[in-house]
Amino acid sequence: MEVEGQATQPPKFALPVDSENKATVFRLFSVAAPHMRAFHLSWVSFFACFVSTFAAPPLLPIIRDNLNLTASDIGNAGVASVSGAVFARVAMGTACDLFGPRLASASLILLTAPAVYFTSIASSSTSFLLVRFFTGFSLSTFVSTQFWMSSMFSAPVVGTANGVAGGWGNLGGGATQLIMPLVFALILNIGAVKFTAWRIAFFIPALFQTLSAFAVLIFGKDLPDGNFRRLQKAGDKTKDKVSNVFFHGITNYRGWILALTYGYCFGVELTIDNIVAEYFYDRFDLKLHTAGLIAASFGLANIVSRPAGGVLSDVVAKRFGMRGRLWALWIVQTLGGVFCIILGRVGSLGASIVVMIVFSIFVQAACGLTFGVVPFVSRRSLGLISGMTGGGGNVGAVLTQLIFFKGSKYSKETGIMYMGVMIICCTLPICLIYFPQWGGMFCGPSSKSATEEDYYLSEWTSEEKEKGLHLASLKFADNSRRERGRKEDSETKPVDETPSTHV
Amino acid sequence: MEMFSSLLCREHFVVTASPAPGQVLKGGVDKITVIWGLNQTLPAGTDSAYKTVKVKLCYAPVSQADRGWRKTKDSMKKDKTCPYKIVDRPYNSANKTSQSVEWTVKRDVPTATYFVRVYAFDADENEVAYGQTTDAHKTTTLIQVEAISGRHKTMDICSIFFSAFSVLSLAGFFYIEKRKGKRSQ
Repeated sequence: MEVEGQATQPPKFALPVDSENKATVFRLFSVAAPHMRAFHLSWVSFFACFVSTFAAPPLLPIIRDNLNLTASDIGNAGVASVSGAVFARVAMGTACDLFGPRLASASLILLTAPAVYFTSIASSSTSFLLVRFFTGFSLSTFVSTQFWMSSMFSAPVVGTANGVAGGWGNLGGGATQLIMPLVFALILNIGAVKFTAWRIAFFIPALFQTLSAFAVLIFGKDLPDGNFRRLQKAGDKTKDKVSNVFFHGITNYRGWILALTYGYCFGVELTIDNIVAEYFYDRFDLKLHTAGLIAASFGLANIVSRPAGGVLSDVVAKRFGMRGRLWALWIVQTLGGVFCIILGRVGSLGASIVVMIVFSIFVQAACGLTFGVVPFVSRRSLGLISGMTGGGGNVGAVLTQLIFFKGSKYSKETGIMYMGVMIICCTLPICLIYFPQWGGMFCGPSSKSATEEDYYLSEWTSEEKEKGLHLASLKFADNSRRERGRKEDSETKPVDETPSTHV
Repeated sequence: MEMFSSLLCREHFVVTASPAPGQVLKGGVDKITVIWGLNQTLPAGTDSAYKTVKVKLCYAPVSQADRGWRKTKDSMKKDKTCPYKIVDRPYNSANKTSQSVEWTVKRDVPTATYFVRVYAFDADENEVAYGQTTDAHKTTTLIQVEAISGRHKTMDICSIFFSAFSVLSLAGFFYIEKRKGKRSQ
């Protein structure tokens, strides 16, 4: 069994790194390869996908007249736009585990770009629904973003890296509400009629998406040491089997709980992205670009709010470890639900805008906090767990749109209020997450002998361990000891542990 | 008048429009001729307050169904039934019985079913009387419009070209990756 890293000279890095060559600091304004470069490539390409997926909502007042859409058609298309990614995110997680985030994300982005180009030539409610459905698949690049960041950045900064990358990508959902009406107005000025101008406008997000995928392929690297394929061929990275990755992912109950709760922060964010422009346009009789401006401020809060969630997760973890991360997540997400209820109840334009911004900060911070926990749930099936959580986010979006925002059953304000109630209820399961080595919200670690190694190595059989396939997990377990928090730091060295049985 | 319901007893105009039943008007191409006149049975002086007349194209109920943004509301300010202005002119008291206008259906008028309504305004810009081409339930003598699609052949070609380009360039990248992988072995 060859020792890792012996095939080539160990590469030197611009940033300080740990034993897995993951960066231990996060320098936002650097583009140093491979860590920060991967960060910038992943958030920009993810941003492009968000711009494309939510390019239609701000232009709906024009599109609904051109394609003769009813409120039900619009609602169905909204549901379709977020439902494709439910399974695509899970598939993307597995693809990352097997092929690496660079190829997985770029492939998906280039394969969904046609749907955005074809939006320009949609001619009926059916074709509109189909293009929104297939465009929405691109939101699964979220998973590759988080996987990539979790591969490039070490435990002390992984929450921050995930939060900023995710948040700045999600920004696209807000930016598009500004960009599309602006591009539309420009094209209108040049002389096109309304029903042509919106179609031409869609080429902008489509081209942006295509170009960002090229950048990922040309400039990106899967891991600090290189790309998956080359590392696999050189024997530096082991190739895992789909069935094993799948099994260890879906049998981990924490992945399922996080999938549910993510549906009520991120899912809610997607729902709002779909309905808020029309909500302000119709309820307060605003102009198209004014409604777009207000709608944009919801998504634009992502520039700080989601990263703040990630940073908060890392900060509380320093003192309280994983238990702090879980508490912070529960508190922030529940408050998000409270503000959602308030948003549904206020009646004036000014109050609505203020409440919406506060609501957006809490909801997006909760997204960042969620991905402060996800990297620790599984090492072997990191991609799949990320995918399940991400997919759960989209399920939440599908459900809330189906229940509260389809057709004319509830007014939008009532729907928003009920959605807030659902957020509070569906956030409670966080109380049930428990790590034997670190504890949960209400219980401490199971015993002095429960260790990180036990938890992460339980994902490998003894035959696999004999082949040395588990070595990456071993390194990760060692690096994750920080999740015990500051109190436990003195008692970190496990000598000879009797392997305890785990869930 | 602030509320449309207060206008109901003041349907003072008789309005007709040119399209024959079953005729579909094409946006940007076809014309519609609207003829309106004061109802002759009304006492003289009924129209003394009328200063301006606006003729509008309005959605019929079948095109408002499941479309909250086209809802009919009693408050005239909030009413979204009649978004398209055909003409806006001063009230001509000399020729009360037969006013007409010929209008080309604009290219941003959506595909839908419509009727035409005429409003008379007084000097304070308040609606004081109306007339429409259809009955009170807005079900008879309706006008069909078929809008432009907004699509062009060039756009179709560009969409297809760039889509194919995206997919093919991905295949190209994979091919290059494979060659690089073989070389490093």
